[in-house]
Order: sequence, then C-alpha cells, then structure tokens
Amino acid sequence: MIQVMNWLSMAIGLIPLNRQQLQSNFMLDYVMMLIMPCLYLASYLGINLFHRFGLPFLDDCNSVCRLSNNLFMHLGAFLYVTVILLSLYRRKQFFVDFETRLAEIDVIIQKCRRVAELDKMRSQAVKHSVAYHFTWLFVFSVFIFALYYDSRELYLTFGEYAIIPFMVSSFPYLAGSIIQGEFIYHVSVISNRFEQINKLFEKINQEARHRHAPLTVFDIESEGKKQELKPTPAEKAAATKAIFSNEPKLADELKRQKAQPPKQEDEDELNTSDEEDDDIFDYNDGMMGENTDSTSEANLPDLFKLHDKILALSVITNGEFGPQCVPYMAACFVVSIFGIFLETKVNFIVSGKSRLLDYVTYLYVIWSFTTMVVAYIVLRLCCNANNHSKQSAMIVHEIMQKKPAFMLSNDLFYNKMKSFTLQFLHWEGYFQFNGIGLFALDYTFIFSTVSAATSYLIVLLQFDMTSILRNEGLMT
Amino acid sequence: MSQVTPMVQPLLLQFQQLFFLSKVVGVLPQDLTKFRHKNVLEKSRNGMIYMLGMLALYVGLYNLLIYSFSEEDRTLKATQSTLTFVIGLFLTYIGLIMMATDQVTALFNQGKLGELYERIRVVDERLYREQCLVNNSCIAKRIRIMLVMTIIFELFILLTTYIELVDYTQWLSLLWMVSAIPTFINTLDKIWFAVSLFALKERFEAINATLEDLVTEHEKFQTWLTGDADAPEPHTADSSETQPPQYDSNLEYLYKELGGIDIGSLRGSGGKNNKVAPIAHSLNSFGESIQTPRKPHQPNPNPMMNMAHESELSNATKVEEKLNNLCQVHDEICEIGKAMNGLWSYPILSLMAYGFLIFTAQLYFLYCATRAQSIPSLFRSAKNPFITVIVLVYTSGKCIYLIYLSWKTSLASKRTGISLHKCGVVADDNLLYEIVNHLSLKLLNHSVDFSACGFFTLDMETLYGVSGGITSYLIILIQFNLAAQQAKDAIQSFNSFNDTAGLVGAATEFGNESSTLYDLVTTTMMTPSNY
Repeated sequence: MIQVMNWLSMAIGLIPLNRQQLQSNFMLDYVMMLIMPCLYLASYLGINLFHRFGLPFLDDCNSVCRLSNNLFMHLGAFLYVTVILLSLYRRKQFFVDFETRLAEIDVIIQKCRRVAELDKMRSQAVKHSVAYHFTWLFVFSVFIFALYYDSRELYLTFGEYAIIPFMVSSFPYLAGSIIQGEFIYHVSVISNRFEQINKLFEKINQEARHRHAPLTVFDIESEGKKQELKPTPAEKAAATKAIFSNEPKLADELKRQKAQPPKQEDEDELNTSDEEDDDIFDYNDGMMGENTDSTSEANLPDLFKLHDKILALSVITNGEFGPQCVPYMAACFVVSIFGIFLETKVNFIVSGKSRLLDYVTYLYVIWSFTTMVVAYIVLRLCCNANNHSKQSAMIVHEIMQKKPAFMLSNDLFYNKMKSFTLQFLHWEGYFQFNGIGLFALDYTFIFSTVSAATSYLIVLLQFDMTSILRNEGLMT
Repeated sequence: MSQVTPMVQPLLLQFQQLFFLSKVVGVLPQDLTKFRHKNVLEKSRNGMIYMLGMLALYVGLYNLLIYSFSEEDRTLKATQSTLTFVIGLFLTYIGLIMMATDQVTALFNQGKLGELYERIRVVDERLYREQCLVNNSCIAKRIRIMLVMTIIFELFILLTTYIELVDYTQWLSLLWMVSAIPTFINTLDKIWFAVSLFALKERFEAINATLEDLVTEHEKFQTWLTGDADAPEPHTADSSETQPPQYDSNLEYLYKELGGIDIGSLRGSGGKNNKVAPIAHSLNSFGESIQTPRKPHQPNPNPMMNMAHESELSNATKVEEKLNNLCQVHDEICEIGKAMNGLWSYPILSLMAYGFLIFTAQLYFLYCATRAQSIPSLFRSAKNPFITVIVLVYTSGKCIYLIYLSWKTSLASKRTGISLHKCGVVADDNLLYEIVNHLSLKLLNHSVDFSACGFFTLDMETLYGVSGGITSYLIILIQFNLAAQQAKDAIQSFNSFNDTAGLVGAATEFGNESSTLYDLVTTTMMTPSNY
C-alpha cells in the first residue's frame, strides 16, 4: 500500500525519485518534480490569461457557477504552489535522514527485543489489522471516485482537451492529499516504534510484578545485581540457557567481590561501592551484556535513549510536513464550508437545471469529503503517536511504584527512571505534532474548526441567493 | 577557563546605526555620545527634552494632517455610509496612539533599558566562562536588513500613495508625508525589541548547543573506550581512563555519606566535592592539558588521533559545576526575557491592537473601494489593491515576526531541559542523574512565555485565533455594508418613485396616501436587510 502511494507521489512529482540514495543522478531525480508544476502552471496561466478551456468561459456557465469555479481553482492553486514549493525545499535530505535514523532505532529495538525475549512474538507485529486494510481500501475508492467523476464530467464538456481544466480543478487537491499521505505514513512509522517501545516497557512492568514476591533477605547487603539476575531464569522457559549464561556472570561477581575487600576497608563502608561495580560493568562488559543479561530491565537505558530518539525523529518529521498541513487544512476548511453552502442554498433549490452548476457543486462536496477523510486520518495518527509516547511515561511510573527488586539497594535505576519521566515532561512542553505552531494536530483541532465552521456557516447561510438565482433564470 | 577573562563584546556594539537613527527621530532618549564611547545606554535629560519635543511636533503635524484632509470626509459624511465613516473616525488616531505609547514607554524605561543590556553582557561573560560563545556578528546584519526593509516599505507606500491617490497640485498635500511617521517610529522601536529577542534566542540556543556538544563528545569518548577495551595495545590509556569512574564512586560514597547524615544539605555537600575535585582531577594525566587550549566552538581539534578522548561527562563533580552554571545562566536569561517583555508590554499590546484593527479596516475599505463607495481620506491607500497588499504585508509582517520570534525563543528555552537530560542519559551515572534531575525540576519551573500585558501570549496559536477573528469580522462588516447598500438603493429608487408618484398624486390628488405608502415601503425594505 505504501509502495503504491510512493509510486504515485513520485509520478506526480511530489517526492524525488531514488529518495533513499544520496548519490544518484541529480537531474533524473528532480525532473518529475519540475515537470508537473510547470504543466500545472501552464494550464493555470493558460486558463486565466487566454480565457479558454476553463469552465467560467463557457456560455452556459452562470454567475454562481463562475464564482464557485474560480474560488475552487484559485484555492487549488494556492494549495498546490505552497505544497510543491515546500516539497522542493525538502528535497532528498529528509528522506535519507529519516531512513538512517529509523534504521538506528530499529537496530536498538531489535537488540532490546532479543534481551527481553520478545523475539518470538515478532510475527504478529507485521500483520496489519482489518481496520488498516479497510481504511486503505476506503481512501483509495474515495479518491478514485472523485477523480473518475471529475474527469468524466470534464471529458463530456471539453472532449480531448479535458486534461487542461482537470489540471486546475482536481489535481491540486490530489497532490495535497498525497503529501498528507506521506505525512501519514511517516507518522504511522513513528507511532509503530512507540508501540514497540511500550511493549518492551510493559514486559519490564510485568516482570516487576512477578518478581515482587521472591524478594529475599539473603543478598541485600552484598549485591543488588544478583537479585535481578537470579529469579528471572527460574520463571523463564529457557532456563537452561539462562543458567548457562549466568554461570560466568556469577563467577565474575565472585571475583569482583573478592577483589573488593581492600577497597572497602579503605572506605569503611560496605554498601555503597555497588555503583562503582555498575560503572565498570557498564563500561567494559557492554558487549557481553547482550548475552549475559537475560532480564529485560537491562533494556531501560536503551529504551530511554530510544524514546528520546524517536521523539527527535518526530520533531524532524513534523518540521518537514507541518508547514504543508497548514494550506491543506485551510483548503479543506474553505472547500467544506462552501460545499455545504452551495449544496444547501443552490443545489437543493435548482438542481438539475444546469449541468455545469451541478457539476461544480458536486465537485465541492466530493472534494470536501475526501480532504476531510485525509485530514481526519492525519489528526488521528498524530494523536495516536502522542498518546503512545505519553503511555511510556505512564508505564515507567507504574514500574517505579511497584518497587521491583532491581531497584532496591540501587539508586541508579530509580534515578534513571525519574530522569526519564522528567525529560518527558520537558518534551511534552516542547513538542507536539503541530502545523508551524498555529494549531496542534489532535482532536482539539477538529473541535475548533467545527465551531469556526458553524459560525461562518451561520453568517454565510444568511446570504440571500434567490434574487441571484432568479436573475440567472434558474428560478421562476 | 582562561586565567584572564577577556571582555566579551557587548551586544550594544551591533546597535550603532539603529541607535543613531532612533535617536534622531526620537524613539529613544538615551545619551548619544556615551553610547558612542562606552556602548552603554544612559539616561539623558537633553534626550528626554528632545524626544518630548519631537513627540509634540509629531502630534501637532498629525493633527494638522487630519484637519487638512478632513475636507474630503465631508462628502463621506454626507453620503450617509455611516459604518464606513464611524470605522474611519475610530481608527483616525490609532496610529498616533501607538506612536505615543512607544515613545512614552521609552521615556519611562530609559534607565531600565540600559540595565537590561548590561545584564545581557554579564550573561555573555558567564557563558564565555562556560566555554560557550555567542556570535553577535549576525545581529548587525539583521538590523541592517530590517532597517532597509522598513525604509523600502515605508517609502514605497508613501510615494505610491502620494503619486497615485493624493492631489499633489496643492502644497498642503505635502502634509501627507506625515502619515508615515507613526508607523516608521513604531517599527524602529519594534526592531529594538525583535533584535534583543533574537539575541536572547541565540543565548538559549548556545546553551543547548553546549549541552549537545557534551553529549556527542561523551559518545565519542565511549566508542573510543569500547574500541580500546578490545585492543590490548593501549593498556596504559585504558587503565588511566578507568580511573575516573573509580574516583567518581569514591566521591559518590563521600557524597552519599554526607547526604545520609543530612538529606537536606545535598547541595551543600556539592560544595565540598568541588573542593576535592581539582586535586583529584589533577592526578589525571592528560585531563587539563587538553582542556585549556580548547576553544568553545571547535569541539576537538584532533578527533581521530591515538589520543584520549576527554569527556567532561565522565567526571560528574566537575560537570556538576558546569551544568549548575548553565542552568543559572538559563534562569538569568529567562529573567531577562521577562524583564524585556515587561518593558515592551504596552507597545506590543498597542501594536497588536493596531495590526488587528488596521488589517481588518484596510480589507474592508478595499471592499468599499471596489464597490465605488467613498472611504475615509486617511485610508486612501485602500483604493489601490496593489498598495493595499503592500500595506498588509508590512503591517502583518511586523506583528507576525514578533510573534514568531517570541514563540521560537520560548521553544528554545524549553529545549534546554531536553538537552540536559540527554547528558544524564548518555553518561548513565548515578551522581549525574541526581544532578540532572534536580536541575531539570528547576528548569521546568523557569519557562519564559511572552505575552502582551498578560492579555494573550505571543505564540502562533494566538495568530491562528486572530486570523480567524479577522475573517469573521470582515464577513460581518461586509454583510452590514451590503445590507446598508441595499437599503440605500431601495430608498433611492423609492424616492424617484415617490417623486413620480407625487407628480401623479398631485395630478390626481393622491398625495396624502403616498406618504403612508412611503412609510410602508421603507419599513419593508429596511427590515429584511440583514436576514
């Protein structure tokens, strides 16, 4: 599905060809991104300068039809020009950057999954739900219907020159929607990564719950590390492997403890030298940690880093696609308002009298519906990603509340988690998916636009159209 | 950490041209010669008198302008379009009010402004000591660009309007030149605010960059460390590098013990750590030797030599001081931001009100002009769509740039907390975590949010709301205008009808009933005007 969309967006020149390779033929990559705007501008200027091939210049197009068509065309021009300029400005750098960062994140996620033994469950992550396919099918059918309707009507009107009016009527909205589709794709990727992280956090959380019971006194004074290592293999199915891997570890610990006494005598303190051990372990055994650490809380630092990285990735994505959201949402808003207005004030009263007028009003309705669907999906996904990132902080808090064994006698984990949650507070203040700060991309935006649309509609519906319609001979 | 702190360049050095210009036109009262020699803003009695004189002059000239052009408005009043007339009357003095607000606030704040820049200079010095250098040179460029833009816009609007739309055969029409003064003075004043805000944003970003530098350096250090752990050859380096953690834990133990005795005095024990730190650290073989010659904005001159990567983050106590200082500087910059916002709060409020009203009014008058209705003489630029576009771009550009900058600054200040936490995560050290958590709480509490007198915050969401407001007001205004026009047309057509009817009535003695008919028709015509 994503592939289809990418091909489509390459075909109509919204993203460069070969966007993943930095070194490829420069001309070839950007030629499509230049041809389509030129084609569009040629049709747009041609219609507006030479007054041919445009709906407004047909004889049986009355004043209402002309006005609404002009509005549709100029709004489309505004949308398309801003979108294409921002796309040209973005170029390939973003895609390459995004992919490399994503690859980095995926590597760490894989590592963490291996540590947390979530590997076996991976197969289900790839499988998409029914809703996913249904959404795609729905969106595609809506778009195909819109394009089919527009091109058919235009072909009936203009014959073989229909491509020229089509370029100025439906094409800009199609292009804008496809860019939003790219945004949707990137956000869904981010959201997916958040979900995976949450799964890993949840795993730690569950383990903490199980491990709460076998908390014993025996090694509280000697080693915190052992506690966290010992009980898990017992409950895990892969016991033999874990014990195997634990043997060298235990030996290591013993050795270290033997080496410690002189130091401890210097310090006259038994407990607090643990951190030093941790440090050494962290620095030197980092590579070995993968094999020996079969418990998932060893993931915590990695997960915190991951969370941070994914948020940084979303900042970049939002910086690239957020500005394109603004004209799209504006166009969607205007088209929807005028769609409702034309439908109620014109089409209800004089439908069937003039074919062109009907065509224009239906065009408004169709495109308002399509753009609304796309806008809703964008908002929904952004909201989801936000919620997922928030959930991680919640889970971490839950873990902290349970006071699992690995946190006792070791302040490091406690501080780590506290630091993570604090950092998330900072992130929350700093970032949210938004359109250059004008509005946040979540459900509150729907509320604000709907309320604004209502007040505009109340004003607009007061316009008295009957005299105009009467003048055009549509009403008696 | 150089032994003699060299003077950092004061920010005001970049403001030379701007100050000279503002001094001449009377935006700022401060002393010119002192600024020239010492780059300080100081109170000046003469400047104050000069500025008051200029203010009085402008007010007089502007009133003269309004008076001399009010002749044309007689027709407007006569041609009944009350809505247009009232809006014009209401907005006549708004430019003057805005200018007077700017100048009077500048007079009141003349002492505080100097203090503000002095505080920024102190912050610069402190930042320099923390090896994070702020580049002021682009500020002068910015000022120049903004000045040039302002002059181009003002001149363009003034001249095109004068040539196109003013009857320049009369010598009194030269007074039209005065109409540009309020906006010009306002823009000069706002350039001061914008540039200072930009400077603050740069300070925040410098802090963030320093923190991020720490992170990347530490990452390099770690890769270097793990790389060495595999290879047996640089054993000496390895052993010496494992020393810092050990030493850290020693200190941490000390630290903990002190903390255990008195939990409340955790910070106090930090002071003790600081005393121990230099001695302990000097044992480290190459720590200081690399540290001293390093320049702030070139992280490591020799990246891939077979030399130890020195990371400050591996040394918690030392970095604590640095982080502490950075946070304090951050706090100070936030305070400066608040102070700056306080100094300019009334001018910004008046600017925003001006922008909102003028934007709406200009569009409305443009609509009126396209309908061939007469508009107030002061807003004659609306007669030409092209000039209107330029005026709108100029006005909205001023407002939006300020809003955008405040938004960006506030974001940059929030970013610091994130960068700080990155340091903690990358070092993964218990002591550092404690420091970071403590400082992060502190950072959460000082946020800088710019507002106009507290009425609304200056961020992009406000812009979104304002743009919505402008459209809805515009629609309402246009509807009223349409309704009034319809009513007027109806009255006119009826009057002509009435005349003929009167003639007919006079002939057929029908006149007494025509007046009742007149009442009936006018009421029926007037009532549906707005439905």
